[in-house]
Amino acid sequence: MGKKEKEFQIKWKTDLPYRYSIGKLAVKYFEELKNKKITGSKCPKCGKKYMPPRAVCADCFVEMTVEDMIELSPRGTLEGFTVVNYPFVDPNTGGMRPFPYGYGIFKLDGADTYMMHFVDETDHTKFKIGQRVEAVFKEKTEGDIYDIPYFRLIKEEE
Amino acid sequence: MIYEAVKMALDDAQMEPKDVDAILIGNMDHFEGINFSEMWCGIDAAPGYLKPVVKIATGGTTGSSLGICGYYNIASGFYKNILVVGWEKLNEGGATTGIITAFDPVWERPSLAGALGPLALMANIYAVKYGISSEQAAKVTVKNRRNAANNPFAHVQMPNITIDDVMNSQMISYPLRLHDCCPQSEGACALIYANEEETKKITDNPAWFKGVSTAHYYTFGCDDLMFDLPTAAIASKKIYKKLGIKDPVKDLDVAEIYEPTSWSELSWTESLGFCGRGEGGKLLDEGITQMSGELPVNPSGGVLSSNPIGATALVRFAEAAIQIMGRGGKRQIPDVETAMGMGFGGSLWTELAILGKDPKPLR
Repeated sequence: MGKKEKEFQIKWKTDLPYRYSIGKLAVKYFEELKNKKITGSKCPKCGKKYMPPRAVCADCFVEMTVEDMIELSPRGTLEGFTVVNYPFVDPNTGGMRPFPYGYGIFKLDGADTYMMHFVDETDHTKFKIGQRVEAVFKEKTEGDIYDIPYFRLIKEEE
Repeated sequence: MIYEAVKMALDDAQMEPKDVDAILIGNMDHFEGINFSEMWCGIDAAPGYLKPVVKIATGGTTGSSLGICGYYNIASGFYKNILVVGWEKLNEGGATTGIITAFDPVWERPSLAGALGPLALMANIYAVKYGISSEQAAKVTVKNRRNAANNPFAHVQMPNITIDDVMNSQMISYPLRLHDCCPQSEGACALIYANEEETKKITDNPAWFKGVSTAHYYTFGCDDLMFDLPTAAIASKKIYKKLGIKDPVKDLDVAEIYEPTSWSELSWTESLGFCGRGEGGKLLDEGITQMSGELPVNPSGGVLSSNPIGATALVRFAEAAIQIMGRGGKRQIPDVETAMGMGFGGSLWTELAILGKDPKPLR
């Protein structure tokens, strides 16, 4: 012993295709997203407005349906930010997630929950908690989560 | 690796696999790119051959869920003893990639950067809200990694680490630098639980469970602004009330908390009620959480020094027990009567256990 043992590796790549059932509310969400509208769901009992929409209010244990869906603003307020600066494999693509990328948590106007998404800024000194942000839509939307590739920081004069 | 941990625990208790009633195992196997690991790891090494084996996997809290379920199994009277084993071999997979697969495939995965992205957001909000500097956070790493030098089981050994070393390390995700973050570790932890009668046969120096507490929160990590880990405040208030603990700094002798980043320890010592909001840095600067302080936090080196995920939170309970049994070697705090262990994971969940030297209730 003492000498470092030679590493023995077997490498392979595997595709693991899955199909996910996203539910009626998410179907409606993506239909509306294609029209460049962001929607959430409002609990019929307590009135809490969830983004993304979901079928059960955790606080009330009450079901929400497509009828309980509401439109939310594409604008919101930044609550926290970071710039992700490390390499890792993205399980959604099987390839490396491009980095660095801006990443923020914000509350859309009209929603009671927060959301986290990409922000098109990689200089952390350009972010300010409390500043306004806006969803940027792809020109040609497809009813896909990437229809909003990122949020942008709204400059104060806008 | 699993065998090594189990063998050490059984030998220490002078037990053999035949003496064990049942086995609880825990592992976040898909973080390693595998699943259903109980099928090939739970039987021979665990050792589950011809025994009841149950696997528990709850993310970062896997170890504390295991630890709490071990307590339930004994306290309910169902088994006279039980072996509890948690492990992880993160070298076998990218933890960030694995962690992303644990989240909602449609809503959360596309932008999620594993655990560190959200932990960076939490640190950022905390830093801005209370005006906490990166230097203050770096002091946590220095404390914990220097403590780790006294723990032969700790993964990262940096006994001479300085504040500058932390602050000059690579930026991983602002404001988290490399040395603000826990490592990806390989490790296993095994504990033997027994009822009062059975314990007498094993040891005259056991650690006793006084109480446990669990708090889960919303589905998504961003359903509320959880930068200060509200579940830590909820779970700790519950357990302190149950055990009659008025002031945790006075009533606990040591705490092993689950701090995946340096910033987490500052913020979560506040949520656990060790000090007021925004005062985690002051608590550290006053020396209270140092080895010689009134409430040492993470004498083992904590999660900043070792993070084999499925074992990590069980290690917190094990280290609490080691401190009570006075078997901590160079990391031992003198005269420990009461110790707390914490697990963190999932969608920002907290699990706690308080252990004591005396089998009688705290009050």
